[in-house]
Amino acid sequence: MCTRAHRANPLMLNKISKTWARVELACAAILAVGVTLLILLNVVTRTAGAPIYWVDEAAIYTMVWMTFLGASAAIQMRQQVAITILTDVLPDGAQRIAAKLVDVAVFVFAVAMVWFCWRWFNPWALGQAGWDVMAFQGSTFNFIYAEPTSTLGVPKWIIWLVMPISSGGMLLHALAHLLNFAPPEKRGPEVAT
Amino acid sequence: MTPALFFTKLLLAVPVAITLALTAMWYIWESDNTILYDSFAQRMFSGIEAYGLLAIPLFMLTGELMNEGGMTRRLISAARVFVGGFRGGLAYINLLANMFMAAIVGSAAAQIAVMSRAMVPAMEDEGYDRGFAAATTAAGGLLAPVIPPSMLFVIYGVLAQVPIGDMFLAGILPGLILSVCFAVVIALIGLKQQFPKGEWMAAGEAGKALLYALPAMLIPAAIIGGIIGGVATPTESAAVASVVAFALGWLVYRELDPRRLFEMFKRTALNAALIIFMIAAANVFGWVIIYEAVPQRLAAFITTITENPFLFLLIVNVVLLFVGMIIDGIAAIILVTPILLPIAIDSYGISPYQFGVVISLNLVLGLLTPPVGVGLYIASAMGETPTGRILRQLWPFLIAVALVLVLLSYAPWLSTALIG
Repeated sequence: MCTRAHRANPLMLNKISKTWARVELACAAILAVGVTLLILLNVVTRTAGAPIYWVDEAAIYTMVWMTFLGASAAIQMRQQVAITILTDVLPDGAQRIAAKLVDVAVFVFAVAMVWFCWRWFNPWALGQAGWDVMAFQGSTFNFIYAEPTSTLGVPKWIIWLVMPISSGGMLLHALAHLLNFAPPEKRGPEVAT
Repeated sequence: MTPALFFTKLLLAVPVAITLALTAMWYIWESDNTILYDSFAQRMFSGIEAYGLLAIPLFMLTGELMNEGGMTRRLISAARVFVGGFRGGLAYINLLANMFMAAIVGSAAAQIAVMSRAMVPAMEDEGYDRGFAAATTAAGGLLAPVIPPSMLFVIYGVLAQVPIGDMFLAGILPGLILSVCFAVVIALIGLKQQFPKGEWMAAGEAGKALLYALPAMLIPAAIIGGIIGGVATPTESAAVASVVAFALGWLVYRELDPRRLFEMFKRTALNAALIIFMIAAANVFGWVIIYEAVPQRLAAFITTITENPFLFLLIVNVVLLFVGMIIDGIAAIILVTPILLPIAIDSYGISPYQFGVVISLNLVLGLLTPPVGVGLYIASAMGETPTGRILRQLWPFLIAVALVLVLLSYAPWLSTALIG
């Protein structure tokens, strides 16, 4: 009983991680559509002599969101660009150990990123300041919530939210990989120059 | 400690982006600068807040649409009209079609995949050696990142902070020189072994082939024309090209199924994300490079060996050939540009355009050299030819690239002449 429950957990986690990666990838694809449409909008309005001033910035942020969500999904799919020259020639057992070490490295990265985002957004101190941004800034000298975007009229911290979101996703995927001891399917990166 | 950790992780196949970020984290810890952790995520974000990078997903999308839209076949039959009648006609068709494709696709690996599938069986049917067919196609793929548009140039332009449109212009003459050299290589091989005879198309047939290909030729014309004429930024011309590619594939050639569009956007998003994420990580890694004054230290060392820019570039070329054997194209350029470019500019007065063209072509060559040669493996898989057999036929092309590299290193104006 006990062992079964123990085994069920990583599987469950794996499922959540896979589903979340699918959501991330779908969002990234929609954002890619957004990038294309925004740039086209720019071309059309500029040719018509009535350029819209906020389109460039919107397109850039759309791309940044696409990038971090896509990168998180790519961690789940083990599609990140890596140098496999050495690990490819290792015997099977050593290869699995190396793969586990990679999982550990990705996990450490994800934990650190989540921690950095926590320190950066500092919701704890913000809550202690009674959600009062001025009081928060006075006590922490952290001006994240005061930063504006240049043309969009949205506070920058909303745009920056992609960092904690994607870091959390990466942590989920990394944890799922770390606890998954099933033989890994081998898959190299599909992208190159 | 930091360098040892860096190379261990890299060779353990830890993803390049994560290796870069982890190394930066470790370095900050070791050098007791932990205040930087607070802006770590922000710096990763700001590292890719660049307008030029928008071109990457757009060029990838255009490539996807081309593949699905039946454009490749039309471009090949148009190339047949011009060079099909020569002895060894199909080899030259291959090269010319690769030039057309290079003016649309920005990625060597993508181009080699498409062209191998299209050209290798056709060449073998007409009696060419399979290895030679695959080698010619793989070499032709090297034109993709040199003839604009080029994904490598976009990334280099962002890293080097030079206008991407100008970077594209810098690639035109070198791309043409490379094409001519490949044609000479094909001709020389033709002297040794008899190529099958080619056949000119009948006038009517030729006209038809050109007419069918004409819309497809609009894409390179739009991209290069837009950039040279200064009417569009590379990003905008990429967006226009993707619309043209979509409309042609869907409405004119009727081979593109709009229902597959979302799948294409998924692949585009994932592939673009992988590359741009590496650039984001390279930005935090930049802290290590700056605080450790890596370029300055390396410069102090290299300038004791030579003061001559040409010799410096030759040294860089030799080093990068080895780098390219282990690390492929884009990852390599993200790693080496921040270190080598300051030396090239400050210590040797080399133009960033010339430097970009030289290191890009050099690192692309790495795609075809084992042990890590993605392009070679793609050509082998798509053309169903063992890599050894391709390599035996490929070396004359590789030597041609090496000679072009020396030439480009020697004569800066080949890269800078077209930049107004």
